Amino acid sequence: MNDLLEKYFRGETSLTEEAELRHYFVSNENVSAGHEAYRALFVAFDQEQQETPDVSLPKGLQQQHKVKRFWIRAFSYSGIAAALVLALWIQRPQQEKDYAIMHGRRIDDPEYAQRYAEKKLNDVNEMLQNGLKPLRDMEALKENLRNGRKNGSVKTEITESDKNRNINN
Amino acid sequence: MDPKQFNTQILSLSDRLFRLAKSILRNTEAAQDAVQDLNMKLWEKRSALEEVENVPAFMLRSMRNLCLDNIRQKREEDELPVELEFTEPNPHQQVEQKDLVIRIRGMIDDLPELQRTIIRMRDVEGMELSEIAYVTSLTENAVSVNLSRARQKIRQKIIYEQKRVEEIVWKG
Repeated sequence: MNDLLEKYFRGETSLTEEAELRHYFVSNENVSAGHEAYRALFVAFDQEQQETPDVSLPKGLQQQHKVKRFWIRAFSYSGIAAALVLALWIQRPQQEKDYAIMHGRRIDDPEYAQRYAEKKLNDVNEMLQNGLKPLRDMEALKENLRNGRKNGSVKTEITESDKNRNINN
Repeated sequence: MDPKQFNTQILSLSDRLFRLAKSILRNTEAAQDAVQDLNMKLWEKRSALEEVENVPAFMLRSMRNLCLDNIRQKREEDELPVELEFTEPNPHQQVEQKDLVIRIRGMIDDLPELQRTIIRMRDVEGMELSEIAYVTSLTENAVSVNLSRARQKIRQKIIYEQKRVEEIVWKG
């Protein structure tokens, strides 16, 4: 190692030999007493190699980075917006409920609407039943008349019928 | 040269450029400013960089020239003596410095600019003599001579320092 060290100070060592010297001194803490001071020399070189600056990018390059960042952000925000629109669109049919308009009022409760509709249908049915009753009476009368002509008791039945009607009135 | 290439090829050399500038200017802030200054100048002329054969060596040479220009300019403005310019409080010069590593770094800083630049390009950056010759605009032989002188001076200072410490211990 001494010969190599002498060669080093004469400026005759190759890069490989210098790397060998450096490795010996930097990685070996227990060098001989005569080498201790030289160890500090190679450690100093090694420390200096670790030094790094705090340097920012040139302005033009910063702008390039800003433009790049702008497009990255723009695409990100567009993606988020598209996702939101899609989510709302998917949810829309679930949120939209069936409803009915009754007397100009919107009814969202389907059970209530059904009950209301059934009641109204019953009313209509009852109304039809009542409205058709005179017709059914007429039909019955016609039928009786036809039967009376056959049996000769029409007059009696009519009389009885008229009597009943007069009593009711 | 596009921004990506510039980032890869030029900015990745910032560490080496900084260390070279710091060695020449002997001031951390001034060295950082110099690196930034050079990066901006090269960014503006990035198209010309494509014609450069050895970009790292070209960058280091540009860095050295820029630092030397800064020193000259500062000297003219302040009329400072040659070896006092930009000298920040040197650990080496402080009393009762016990860390030999720090003192050795101070010893290197005390070398003439050319010698400290050469010894650091060789021993810190691990550059070939031909590359150092290109950066310093010297012949390889002249680089070798300056490297040897620089190392010999450091060695003498280390031996002197050791003797001084031994004397202090002996007397103490």
